[in-house]
Amino acid sequence: MPEPAERELPGSRPASRTPEPPAPAAPDDTDLESGPRRALATLYGIFALAATARAVVQLATQFDQAPLAYSLSLLSGLVYLAATVGLATQRRWSRPLTLVAVCVELVGVLGIGLWSLLDPALFPHDTVWSKFGYGYVFIPVALPILGLTWWWRTRPGTSGDGDSAR
Amino acid sequence: MFDPVLFTLMAAGLLLAAWSGLWAYLRRPVNTVQWWWGAVLTGLLTVQSVVAWVRLIGPASVPETVTFIAYSAGVLIPLPVGLWMARLERTRWGSVALASTAVVVAVMLLRLWQLWRAGSA
Repeated sequence: MPEPAERELPGSRPASRTPEPPAPAAPDDTDLESGPRRALATLYGIFALAATARAVVQLATQFDQAPLAYSLSLLSGLVYLAATVGLATQRRWSRPLTLVAVCVELVGVLGIGLWSLLDPALFPHDTVWSKFGYGYVFIPVALPILGLTWWWRTRPGTSGDGDSAR
Repeated sequence: MFDPVLFTLMAAGLLLAAWSGLWAYLRRPVNTVQWWWGAVLTGLLTVQSVVAWVRLIGPASVPETVTFIAYSAGVLIPLPVGLWMARLERTRWGSVALASTAVVVAVMLLRLWQLWRAGSA
């Protein structure tokens, strides 16, 4: 792997917003505020799209079959959407919005995960959060934990520049 | 859906996920080969979806047509997002983004295969 090739990607503008040292030094991956935030926003965005699209299709075509499950799917889609907006924006309300969305998500995935195991009859059709999100390789249960971890590590008052930040 | 093609694409997605996941672990940003790997994969996925749609217009049919179309269109979305993020975020976190979108694509391909198999080709 030629080292210089890693600097430039096809289509990336020559003058990037953050000036980088010319030497192939380690990239600034200790900035917990922006990097993980973007990675999380990517995942949340895809889940927002997937859950919302799925719920809309199901509610539109087969609402009668499992009204509760499909309504909850729509709710989960909206929660993912809220978290995505919170992560992707940098406003005063962004971090509070992210926290609320991620907490609702955690409660939702744990609550519905448990509920769907205890009373499967209520969930003849799966939701994103059924059985702790097994249909989505358990990413739904991992996402809020990652989200909360990020939120806590980058909360105001911490230097936010490394795993050792306290 | 042509099984060998679909599984080759799925394997390509998983390999990209493993590779960029390793790159994230090694604190490296996405490199050129990985980026183009994702770009070419997106192109091939597009061809596959278009071929599937053409066959659906023709003789083929699947039980859950709406779901199938949603998945075959949706499978084209994650990788471009991951590639865009890899360009924007020139750190290990760009690799994390690309790796996770590649995993999502592989899972969606599995679901697509199940949906297609349930129908008549």
